[in-house]
Amino acid sequence: MPHSEMAAGDGRARSFAARLRSEWHMGDRSRLAQLLILMLVALAAAMFAASIMTGAADASLGNVLRWLFGVEGAEQALSARDRIIILDIRLPRAVMGLLVGASLAVSGAIMQGLFRNPLADPALVGVSSGASLGAVLMIVLGSSVFGPVFAVFGFYALPVAAFLGGLFTTLLLYRIATHTGQTSVATMLLAGIALSALANAVTGVLIFIADDKQLRDLTFWGLGSLAGANWTKILSAGPIILTSLAVVPFLARGLNALTLGEAAAFHMGVPVQRLKNIAIVSVAASTGAAVAVSGGIGFVGIVVPHVLRLIIGPDHRYLLPASALLGGTLLIFADMIARTIVPPAELPIGIITAFVGAPFFLWILLRGRSHLGL
Amino acid sequence: MIEASNLSVRLSGKQVLHGVNIEAAAGQLTAIVGPNGSGKTTSLKAIAGELSYEGTVSINGHDILTLKPWELALKRAVLPQSTVISFPFTVREIVRMGLSVGAKAGANETDRIAREALEAVDLSGFAGRFYQELSGGEQQRVQLARALCQIWEPVRHGEPAFLLLDEPVSSLDIRHQLTIMRLARVFCERGGGVIAIMHDLNLTAMFADRMIMMKSGRVRAAGRPNEVMTDAIMEAVFGCAMRVNATPAGSVPFVLPHTALG
Repeated sequence: MPHSEMAAGDGRARSFAARLRSEWHMGDRSRLAQLLILMLVALAAAMFAASIMTGAADASLGNVLRWLFGVEGAEQALSARDRIIILDIRLPRAVMGLLVGASLAVSGAIMQGLFRNPLADPALVGVSSGASLGAVLMIVLGSSVFGPVFAVFGFYALPVAAFLGGLFTTLLLYRIATHTGQTSVATMLLAGIALSALANAVTGVLIFIADDKQLRDLTFWGLGSLAGANWTKILSAGPIILTSLAVVPFLARGLNALTLGEAAAFHMGVPVQRLKNIAIVSVAASTGAAVAVSGGIGFVGIVVPHVLRLIIGPDHRYLLPASALLGGTLLIFADMIARTIVPPAELPIGIITAFVGAPFFLWILLRGRSHLGL
Repeated sequence: MIEASNLSVRLSGKQVLHGVNIEAAAGQLTAIVGPNGSGKTTSLKAIAGELSYEGTVSINGHDILTLKPWELALKRAVLPQSTVISFPFTVREIVRMGLSVGAKAGANETDRIAREALEAVDLSGFAGRFYQELSGGEQQRVQLARALCQIWEPVRHGEPAFLLLDEPVSSLDIRHQLTIMRLARVFCERGGGVIAIMHDLNLTAMFADRMIMMKSGRVRAAGRPNEVMTDAIMEAVFGCAMRVNATPAGSVPFVLPHTALG
């Protein structure tokens, strides 16, 4: 950084930008990352508000806020119908978008760190397939074989089944890939592909025997959607997702060290096996919960961490919280498109994320082929 | 003091170490030499605690199996042969990873240590470069700076720390080979200990206090370089007849591959 430029930067904003640039040249991206996280917090809040206001029913931000915070006189501004739409439809949808998006993006980032591979994703190692199988089992056999289960769990049956499916796949995968206390990444990836294929085959059989109504449910659920969002689902999946997100700060340093390899991470004092255990269970729980309430929503887990790594670098202390924020924001945004692009019908959100995510992902690959080491 | 006694290691059913004894004192540079596949790296990995083994390894009197990973990390740092990473970390970010273990120092202090570690391996000015864009030798020096940060004080609370180096100079040019070997010597002079796996016998003879020669998973000779580098031992270990010479000024032995031709 030339001295003259520093001296010329009279405005505070300008000198701050100069400082960021100078630190970037010194290989220090921490301040940039902190700034980006602050911006993402603001962006997430803005997107959340926009999502609540967007739709057929008219509800301006001022009216909504006044009503939400119980300001007097706001009752008249919003009709009872609008209030129900906001409180029981749009608000749970936005909350669920935030939770599911954060869960998908953070799970992707953790998996990528764990496997030291920028292409790893819960979908890749079969966690999502296992969770889907659990959910499909409930949809197709819920009225017959699993009738008693439905009787006990009610609305919770689907999320619980998906969560158990994801966890079961992960634990099975773990048993296969772990030998004398060491988890082999290569075995885990290959076993994940096999388990994924197996789960998909069983799912295929279930789809084959499903009746017309179940097929329709399956199709919509499989493509992914936030349309069914309600407070019950949030109460069932939310705690699981929030708990998994809560352990994330404790994984960051270990995942950074793991970038240099498992042996090097151990040399640097990281309890590697414990780190892997926590990361795997957290990813399984959070992916299972997300799949249960919203079906298969692809590409968030791969694209979000990728984009962030290009800007703030791979330091997990910043990458993980930034992924949570950007993932949540993106999913709310995709959901807004999904429910407004072909009114009055609604597009499954998975179609939007795939349409935007897949070409974007290819673009990243082509652009960064050389220096991403792919 | 690092003491490895009666080390035996099996890798996928094959016994690669047969009762190896290795001692490395603080203040000394201990070099392990030997032909390819003689068990040098396996020995170092066992001492680092990353392999399961029979026998015992202790560091400053503590059996390493009783130490937690972070306790071990404050007593020894390890430089692997080569490290490939798949995420675009900068050199500064990699070097500072070493600091996240022990040093609970302030921001200025960690900045200073990271900068001095890069200077020590002759990479000042490289902090902002991407690790993946560096040459193999430069990457190895970044990793050494990272390991140095981890045990920046060669003696901590009266206890010596150890650097375990697996072929630290194998991909370096001759100037940087000397830089790194001098750095290892300085670490020893300041009270720390170094175990280095070496292939360059002459460089080893110049810098090592003790030399351990391995062959087929056993220690064949150990002692000062001029005791170990003899015609007979060289032929027994490396399987080719060579003439060992000594520099005119002193007792530093050297061997030229040319002498094997005769």
